[in-house]
Amino acid sequence: MAESQSQEDPTTQVEAASKAFEHEFERFARFTDPSAAVQGLTLDWAESEQHALAQLRTRHLGKKSALAICKKSIGRVAPEGRAAFGQLVQRREAEIISAIEQAETKLKSHIQSARIQRESIDVSLPGRRPRSGHLHPITLLRERLEDIFVALGYAIEDDREIETDFYNFDALNIPQNHPARASQDTFYTTNGLALRSQTSTVQIHAMQRRGAPVRMIAPGRVFRRDTPDPTHNPMFFQVEGLCVDRGITMAHLKGTVAELLRRMFGSRTVTRFRPSYFPFTEPSAEFDFSCFKCGGSGCRICKNSGWIELGGSGMVHPHVLRAAGVDFDEFSGFAFGFGIDRMVGLMYELDDIRLLFENDVRFLEQFD
Amino acid sequence: MLISYNWLRELTGTILSPLELRERLTMVGLAIDAVEEKESDAVLDVEIPSNRPDCLSHVGIAREVAVVVSGKLRPPSGKPARSEGRSTDLTSVEIRDPDLCPRYAARLVRGVRISPSPAWLAKRLEEIGQRPINNVADITNYVLHELGQPLHAFDLAKLGGQRIVVRRATAGEKLKTLDGVERTLGANMLVIADAERPVALAGIMGGEDSEISIQTTEVLIESAYFNPDSVRQTARKLGMDTEASRRFERGADCENVLRAQNRCVELICEIAGGVATEDAIDVYPSPLPARSISFRPCRVDSLTSLRVAETEMKRILTGLGIAHTEESSAVWKCVPPSWRIDIEREEDLVEEIARHFGYDKIGSELPPSNQSGEHQPKELKIRKLRRTLQALGLDEAINFSFIELAPDNQLELIPEFHAQDPEHAFVTLKNPIIEHQGRMRPTLIPGLLNSLRHNLNHGIRSVRLFETGRIFAESDSGELPKEREALALIATGGALEANRAQAPRETDFYDLKGSLEAAVAAMNRASLRFTKAHVKHLREGQSARILLADGTPLGSLGTLGERISDAYKLRQLVYVAELDLSRLLDVEELPVQYKPLPRYPSVVRDLTILVDRQITLGELLHTIEGRQVDDCRGAQLVGTYEGANIPEDRRAITLRIEYRSDERTLLNEEIEDRHRGLIDSLLRQYSAQLH
Ligand SMILES: [Zn+2]
Repeated sequence: MAESQSQEDPTTQVEAASKAFEHEFERFARFTDPSAAVQGLTLDWAESEQHALAQLRTRHLGKKSALAICKKSIGRVAPEGRAAFGQLVQRREAEIISAIEQAETKLKSHIQSARIQRESIDVSLPGRRPRSGHLHPITLLRERLEDIFVALGYAIEDDREIETDFYNFDALNIPQNHPARASQDTFYTTNGLALRSQTSTVQIHAMQRRGAPVRMIAPGRVFRRDTPDPTHNPMFFQVEGLCVDRGITMAHLKGTVAELLRRMFGSRTVTRFRPSYFPFTEPSAEFDFSCFKCGGSGCRICKNSGWIELGGSGMVHPHVLRAAGVDFDEFSGFAFGFGIDRMVGLMYELDDIRLLFENDVRFLEQFD
Repeated sequence: MLISYNWLRELTGTILSPLELRERLTMVGLAIDAVEEKESDAVLDVEIPSNRPDCLSHVGIAREVAVVVSGKLRPPSGKPARSEGRSTDLTSVEIRDPDLCPRYAARLVRGVRISPSPAWLAKRLEEIGQRPINNVADITNYVLHELGQPLHAFDLAKLGGQRIVVRRATAGEKLKTLDGVERTLGANMLVIADAERPVALAGIMGGEDSEISIQTTEVLIESAYFNPDSVRQTARKLGMDTEASRRFERGADCENVLRAQNRCVELICEIAGGVATEDAIDVYPSPLPARSISFRPCRVDSLTSLRVAETEMKRILTGLGIAHTEESSAVWKCVPPSWRIDIEREEDLVEEIARHFGYDKIGSELPPSNQSGEHQPKELKIRKLRRTLQALGLDEAINFSFIELAPDNQLELIPEFHAQDPEHAFVTLKNPIIEHQGRMRPTLIPGLLNSLRHNLNHGIRSVRLFETGRIFAESDSGELPKEREALALIATGGALEANRAQAPRETDFYDLKGSLEAAVAAMNRASLRFTKAHVKHLREGQSARILLADGTPLGSLGTLGERISDAYKLRQLVYVAELDLSRLLDVEELPVQYKPLPRYPSVVRDLTILVDRQITLGELLHTIEGRQVDDCRGAQLVGTYEGANIPEDRRAITLRIEYRSDERTLLNEEIEDRHRGLIDSLLRQYSAQLH
């Protein structure tokens, strides 16, 4: 058999090999048209076609392919025909290579894009992380206030929540018969101690400890005997500030409160002081600020007045300075205070401040 | 207090509109909540500061208006048209307790005709929210609102012995007051009595028996000054609050007594007819002294930064009735009027000048800074703790500091609060406002359980909360109660993931433990230790004591016990932890220090052993550490397995042991040798088998 084959004309053998390739290659022919897209071919099928194509290449271009055998039989071609024969073999080989490579390229790019398709992910699915928690709005605001005052050179202080009458009332110049002392307004323990009704108590401790000059704020819990309703709680958070130094005046008080309110509610916020009465300050002032919502033209939040009342302030009463051991001929000081809860209520337009202590997750989730 | 605009205008002649008055009075410290326009008048609702009882009348407000507009007050007259007879011939006044009644004046009007008030008077009272009764009663009320002095009219015919005795009540004495309530009096209550019995509660309300009626023809007008504390205490004890008591409590004007009485008598003669006696019986044994205050005008500038001209200061002082003489150019002697009981010292005078000169003229500047600010030393650590817990999915709760008494003995408290005598261990409120909530919380857990309950009630079954806050306990030595900061965590339901409707699994003990560990690590404290322990409120076998590295107990962690779960009607597993945050923050921070990177490779060996279920990972790790095997760098958990193919009382634990030398690369035989030794000792010590 091999003998008879070898007897055949090498040129005819080359043409036969070429024909045989063309026949086998037919099924891949559709991959050679560069302009036509490959349709209806799944990734799996395309990969098996790629494999088949690789086998085809081995069969027709490998060392044992018909064409390779033909090359070796060049000796049997008459010397004058060898050049033509060589060219023929090269041409046919080039045709086969080109056809296979075209198909390979096309298949490869089809497989690549099919693989991308299959492995593509939905980037809009949620990222993997625990549901994040939320800090309490009072904490968030308290931290902000503390940061503002630290930047203004104040120390943050805190002290006891259960206090003696001395710190809660006497040292603050609250007269013996003042209604705030009554058990109607202030909580007392069975041992006769008071739950602090303002964080001014901390000012006395701080002045006793630090002496003058002193600059501090005391944020913290305070207690007053109010029945819970949409605008009252028996416990709330307050910030009290104190600045005692030589030459402190009400202008410094006004400047400090105005600075705070601008940082909280925007640079155009206007602060207004009104005379008022507090036992621990003289002169005393309440402070209002221009409504952050309407800017002063009147709205629901400011009850159409354009102003929002926030807190009380004044020049520290000499009796208070004396109780804290500060020489009031040398030093003067201002103090101010306001409710953190009230500010939270204003900023977020709470219609019922009891929500602050119910810890309803649906409420807490709204703050960040 | 309600103030009629027309009335105010009669007293001051002001041309300011009601809205202008509102603005101007607000800026001198009399805030006006509302202005109600009436048919031919306007009514101002003025908020009177508690130290200004002198403003509880139209004349009081008019005085302020007069200073505001630099005008003059036009005080009402007070001279009856006709008078005859001496009061002493007709009645008598005896003050038995002058400590509670420094002054009492009585004057009579005879021949009056009781009838409804004329229209103008009734209308004026109605405008300011007062109900007209009859002409004489209305006139006393009118004068009260005009001059601020409470007055009372008795029917002289109904006074036993036609006399007035001011005395303390005897305990148990009875008096039916004008509101029809029969009141039993205490021994310290001051009454106005006749010869036999009490006829009025001094400074609070008259008695029904001596009330003016249609038959009354002779009236006795009482004008007096009562001790503020006495009136306050009596009114509070009896639960009464009247126009009169409100003024006496805060301090009436002792020098206004006769003027108001004159005005009242004048109006009665004019409106109800009758003839007044020529004079009053005025018992005023020791007149109250006037105060004199040294005032340095320069203090206005040094306290307020306002530069006020001396003439302007004097105008304001004079307008407010404050007498002033210059002792020197630097010091003035000021005498406040009898009605200004609030002015006691120099600073008070500074305020008077500043508020009338205008707070709006005070400048605004930051004080020169000479100090650096600082947070509370522990605040920044607590912030890290909060942020970490937040990131791990816990919401921050804040609960009231008071809780119910009931759960006390069901909860184990932090070690600092373990008391010998639980009866006296807690701080209790004398006057709680929310029923039963009379305990200052010794633990944060009840508050968090209530918060949990609240959320479950609203259909939210997956909840993770934490709270930091003060807890309280009595101290043993009779000192002030202990106050400490605590941290508590609570979790129940699914381990929620962000933006997913369903939690992939349920929360468990290790979620809560992990959150706690992460929070402590964020504060850069040495890691906590957890040992199995019996804890009162936790489920047996699922409860741990939390310890510092040195073994100091800090608190507890575990699955909430069934009894307390039932008490809070919790029908799903709840995990809860609480620890003494104050104590934890006292622990020194871990130093952060560089260690050279390893120069030689490390080799790890995994090891799976089958041990009794009661043997803990902690024990195994502790043993491995204690063995001090050469070049052993530590062991970590790979996993545990129990279930199929393993006896019920045992479990498999896989550990990864690391070996490394700082001097050289370890040889395989050396590692095998060391590892073998370690395994053998574990197997022996725990009767374990290799798995
Ligand atoms: Zn507004």
